[in-house]
Amino acid sequence: MATNALAGTSLSMRSLLPQTQAFTSISGLRSASISSFGRKNVSFSLQPRSIRLKISCAAKPETVEKVCKIVKKQLAMPETDVVTGESKFATLGADSLDTVEIVMALEEAFGIAIEEDSAQSIATVQDAADLIEEIVQKSS
Amino acid sequence: MGSSKVQRLSGMQKQVLSLYRGFLRAARSKSEEERCKIESIISQEFRRNAEDVDRKNFLYIEYLLRRGNKQLDQLKNPGTTGLSSLQLHYSHPSSKG
Repeated sequence: MATNALAGTSLSMRSLLPQTQAFTSISGLRSASISSFGRKNVSFSLQPRSIRLKISCAAKPETVEKVCKIVKKQLAMPETDVVTGESKFATLGADSLDTVEIVMALEEAFGIAIEEDSAQSIATVQDAADLIEEIVQKSS
Repeated sequence: MGSSKVQRLSGMQKQVLSLYRGFLRAARSKSEEERCKIESIISQEFRRNAEDVDRKNFLYIEYLLRRGNKQLDQLKNPGTTGLSSLQLHYSHPSSKG
């Protein structure tokens, strides 16, 4: 891949080879070469929260519970701390890097792959649980 | 800041998070032991830069992104078993004004 020499430009749009990747799940430690910057043609359209709740049911309580446990573990929170579906990652002390780690941990736990654009829209535990069940349903 | 539910990320921030995500994905394909090492080093590196680098130093951030992507490409190579093969630098950024 050619190195772009863009001296003098403070903000630049990188020209990367577009890569089309379609996958529904990553099993175990085996993973194909995935470009972190490539544009993915497969994308999940996130509906506004109110509409989503009307059309499809909210995530099952067990999914929310599982997400809560993973978030606690990922953020090294005491077992006594309360994490609910309403908990915001930011309120729990997660910065943007922590949130990336949480999403990655959720991917492995549920055996799915979460698109980056979708991942960036996750702000609460409920958001994560809803998205996970949406992805699981589509892949089944 | 009374922003909406999701924090609004600048384009550059998204690139950083995307790169971080890429490293975590690449680490998955390595052995369990190497993976732990990789994740630990990557986490430290990103967090250190998050603290040390001026967020308005766009040129330096772009440099770090380019370097990071090269390192990520190396890490994705199946022949790369661990970070000892990578040329990670630990020197502090000297371009702080």
